Amino acid sequence: MGSLFSKKKKEESRITEQDKAILQLKQQRDKLRQYQKKIQANLDREREVAKRLLKDGKKEKAKLLLKKKRYQENMLQKTDNQIDQVEKMADDIEFASIEMKVMEGLKKGNDCLKEMHKIMSLEDVEKILDETQEAVEYQREIDDLLAGGILTDEDEEAVLAELDEITKADLPQVPDEDVSLPEVPRDRIPEAEAPKERQRELVAAS
Amino acid sequence: MAEFQWPWQYNFPPFFTIQPNKDTQAKQLEAWCLLVLSYCRHRRQYSLDVTDAQDSPLFHNKKIDRKLPLDAVYTVLEELRKKGNIEWTDPKKRNRCLIMWRTPEEWGKIIYQWVTSNGMNNTVCTTYELVNGDDTTSQEFHGMESWLLTRALQTLQLERKAELMGSEGVKFF
Repeated sequence: MGSLFSKKKKEESRITEQDKAILQLKQQRDKLRQYQKKIQANLDREREVAKRLLKDGKKEKAKLLLKKKRYQENMLQKTDNQIDQVEKMADDIEFASIEMKVMEGLKKGNDCLKEMHKIMSLEDVEKILDETQEAVEYQREIDDLLAGGILTDEDEEAVLAELDEITKADLPQVPDEDVSLPEVPRDRIPEAEAPKERQRELVAAS
Repeated sequence: MAEFQWPWQYNFPPFFTIQPNKDTQAKQLEAWCLLVLSYCRHRRQYSLDVTDAQDSPLFHNKKIDRKLPLDAVYTVLEELRKKGNIEWTDPKKRNRCLIMWRTPEEWGKIIYQWVTSNGMNNTVCTTYELVNGDDTTSQEFHGMESWLLTRALQTLQLERKAELMGSEGVKFF
């Protein structure tokens, strides 16, 4: 029984005072819209009547009717402005309540962050990092100890030597004698003379 | 509005006489129920006056000069009532009934879909803007009668997707 009542209460609380205000404004807007519809219908009708009166030659009456029409058109414009205002107001309230929710969210987030920072003090972090560093070094020592037990420096050298040998054996044989290169052509190429001479000098110098 | 597509039975004279054979009758009633609902849906009709309906094209096919007799009309309507598609507004006289070619739950879903796709959750709406507003002219629920709208919204309220604010407003969640 108790839970049933409390549930009902909870449901009721979902509509806030702002919601009620917004509803009232929107209802007002609807009423203005309905009013506009009415005036619009009136205008259309009166236009027809005025036309008919003119046809019948009742100019004065038609003029009077058009005057009334003009007045109603002004009213229509005024209601347009009012609708605009009412809608703006409703939007403002809506937006303000959204802003309020954003604020609440930020505040909650902030509190949560603070709470977490309380648990996670700077000193603790430093201490943990230090301990981690120590542990890493300790591990390295263990690694060295274990690895050093198997291979001495001499062994390392032997390994390197063997590696060298294998690499050499795998390479193709290079002939030891000088290789005779083909002669350089002696035909003169007039434009390229200068660089050629320099090249020869370079060869001579080497 | 497009022309209503009558089912083939509509031009079949025996369709307008309740069949004595039980199996045939069941099928016939089924077809009539479907016809009534789709006809009302096409015309966006939310209530039915029995006397008016009897003379309307729904129960009276002038082309083949056949008319569903009054007692048969009641049989069909009672069948629809059993299915939950209609409700008498005057159960004693049985002259007027409300028609629901969609159940309030289905309507609720359609409205809620529209609300969600327009990002209107957490927004207050007037019932007037839902059924008569300029934003919903293309929606199926535009022009819906208020009793049905209220019921549809009540189903949403049960699911905690909406909350009615009197009879004139609703807040969606």
